[in-house]
Amino acid sequence: MASPGNIPQNEKSKSFDIVETYHQLLKEDPDLTMPVAAIEALIELLVQSRAVTVYETLDLVKTQSDYLKSRIPNSISLSAGTDLFQRYMISSLKPSSTGNFDTMRQHLLSNGRLFVSRAKAGREKIATYGRHFVRDGSVVLTHGGSRVVGALLGKAAEASKSGGNVRFKVIYVMNDARSSESKAVVSTLRAKGVPVATISEGAVGYAMGKVNLVIVGAEGVVENGGIISRLGTYQIALLAKAAGKPFYVAAESHKFVRLYPLGQYDLGIDQEVIVFKTDKEDLSSEEKKFAERTPEIEEKKEYFAPGMDMPKPNTAVDAVDFTPPALVSALITEEGVLTPSAVSEELISVWW
Amino acid sequence: MPSSDPPTAESAPPQAPSPAQGKGNTAKQPKGKEPAAPTDGPKLSGAELKKRAKEEKAARRAEALLAKGAAVPVVPLTPGQQPKAEGQKGAKGQRQHQRGGSTSVELRNLPVRGAQKVVPGPIATEPKKEDKTVEFFRHLYKTRTTSIAGASKDVHPAVLALGLQMSNYTICGSCARLVATLQAFKRVIESYTTPPQNSLSRHLTSHVLSPQIEYLSSCRPLSISMGNAIRWLKLEVSKVDVSVPDAEAKKGLCDAIDVFIRERVTFADQVIARSAADKIKNGDVIMTYAKSSIVQRALVTAHEEGKKFRVIIVDSRPLHEGKHLAAALVKIGMDVKYCLINGLSHNIQDVTKVLLGAHAMMSNGRLFSRIGTALVAMEANEADKPVIVLCETIKFTERVALDSIVHNEIAPSDELVIPGGPLENWGDIKKLQLCNPMYDVTPADYIQMIVTESGNVPPTSVPVLHRLGNESQG
Repeated sequence: MASPGNIPQNEKSKSFDIVETYHQLLKEDPDLTMPVAAIEALIELLVQSRAVTVYETLDLVKTQSDYLKSRIPNSISLSAGTDLFQRYMISSLKPSSTGNFDTMRQHLLSNGRLFVSRAKAGREKIATYGRHFVRDGSVVLTHGGSRVVGALLGKAAEASKSGGNVRFKVIYVMNDARSSESKAVVSTLRAKGVPVATISEGAVGYAMGKVNLVIVGAEGVVENGGIISRLGTYQIALLAKAAGKPFYVAAESHKFVRLYPLGQYDLGIDQEVIVFKTDKEDLSSEEKKFAERTPEIEEKKEYFAPGMDMPKPNTAVDAVDFTPPALVSALITEEGVLTPSAVSEELISVWW
Repeated sequence: MPSSDPPTAESAPPQAPSPAQGKGNTAKQPKGKEPAAPTDGPKLSGAELKKRAKEEKAARRAEALLAKGAAVPVVPLTPGQQPKAEGQKGAKGQRQHQRGGSTSVELRNLPVRGAQKVVPGPIATEPKKEDKTVEFFRHLYKTRTTSIAGASKDVHPAVLALGLQMSNYTICGSCARLVATLQAFKRVIESYTTPPQNSLSRHLTSHVLSPQIEYLSSCRPLSISMGNAIRWLKLEVSKVDVSVPDAEAKKGLCDAIDVFIRERVTFADQVIARSAADKIKNGDVIMTYAKSSIVQRALVTAHEEGKKFRVIIVDSRPLHEGKHLAAALVKIGMDVKYCLINGLSHNIQDVTKVLLGAHAMMSNGRLFSRIGTALVAMEANEADKPVIVLCETIKFTERVALDSIVHNEIAPSDELVIPGGPLENWGDIKKLQLCNPMYDVTPADYIQMIVTESGNVPPTSVPVLHRLGNESQG
């Protein structure tokens, strides 16, 4: 594995750091999702790089993607973007395609930008498809700060304003750890004239009887059609299933990720959610390991120069969980409404 | 349904020759016995040899009778036996050859089926008594060819040998049989010359390959993967240009077969073992059922990487295939627990993952595998443990299965009988039937993941992969 140092660059661009660029992009545009930010960062990398051969370019993108992934505690969503971009590069940089390397590179850059703008437009499309799920008089339960769900509910609310006669209510599950985000979502919806009730996470089972449908967002959609999303999604899905209420997921198709978790502890990331403690002191690491039964992630030492610290594992605040496909009624994507099993077909057609 | 007595009369025809056989031919028996002995190795007891010789005789006699009855120029006994002796010599050498060529050498420590020499027996042994077949499975009973007597003269010696090896489970397991079949067909193609006024693409399949396939399926029903491969081979033959000279066409076909085996089996196995081993983590407890060569490879791969995990092997009568897996894993120093299927619900508690092999994957996502697999999968699902199936895409089929009755294979019922046990004379007990199917069907809901050479997919994606696999093939 290569270290970040071996990027073929000239003096000027040596300061380019993909992780910094990534964070910068996310900060600048609050509407940007993680996979798209990753793709934009990679395009930025291509602009800066002086690679002159196809193989060099591919290798550069690969090492930098791996480096980026290793520096972000939860790289699942991000890897959807980097994988997709690499795939796209491989298919468009085929030696058989016409023209010299430079024109191909230009083509790649412009198409990459096109991809980013399309990904942003996807959210609108999802909102258009999804608003038909919100019928007159229905009660929608949601949680988290998903921008897609926000757009979807906003669209539905607009429809009711413009005489579409759709009146619906929202039950929002508050997250104590992220109360500012929760409050922002609630106030946006209330501003649009949608009656919102806020409940605590413990009240979801109690409220489920009043709910007609559940709509949530996702960080990543995995190969079997399950989703990886904010901690708490899994239990809402279970309760919805138990009550027989439909559970919809709104997510752009660039969030489809080549990952196949078998359960909560098979996500490939370290999460500090279950931490056993006593009054006296922390358990020894041995005992902790036994208690958690979560597989260890092998350290990616090669990326870190001495002195650099490892990214911290996810704490409960930004931890995620896995909702299996059996609990998902449908996925609302910009390519239409898919069943969970269609995700696998979609991924096969992209990757075959 | 009323009693099963009436159907006896209808199913009588195959039994007809056997009463005659008992009386008239005892004097000749030793003759038939001697040449037969070397082919089957030392494992047969004297009584079994005798039984075998008897059956052979019966078959020959039936053939002769038939020939006479049809007023076809009588096929005299002596020429009929000639090719047989030849075939046996061929068989001997052939077996060695195929073992070398087969990809899965470790498959060889195979379960020996003690009683299988008895022709699906109740019919033959109890001609006058009641029908001992089980009502629901009656359409599945087939008399298996267990000797080369009566085989068509068109059948190639390599295929004759292979047929015998399949019928006595020397070559067992879906992929091993597939590879062996293709190797044998390569020999057939090599020794083929197109007759004048014919073209290879039109003559080979219908006149040469068909009798081979027919013979093989009479020895043991073809597996799904063999069906897929044969379909591919026929297509390949039909694509041969008429203008291509014989030698070149034959070489092309043989090369195509080699590539096919390499891509769809050898390489696929490597990829599957690799990605299944990746799924095994430190501290895992893996449960598996019976013996699958690909599961074995995956476990060994993970072990060689230094991962620390335990294996629980669940096994069942009558084959006890799991014993061989347990022995192989213990030998390389793995931590293995062996239990029979009645200890399943106790042992499932500690398990973290269940790995299963497959005979075939159906298009509705169901798994067709060794009988007992469905039970393990169900129990695992009940205990919320992930079930992972390891399966090459060559085993995918467009057929669907709703139950394990419509398609299945019935093994001889006598395999279930423990010598000296209470069932020893079960044939004499009225209204008692034994049923010994080979496979069962596991519902797709119990399966979390299928590991194939083209990635890990949910059971719902089986038809997609099957379609893609066939497109890239054709």
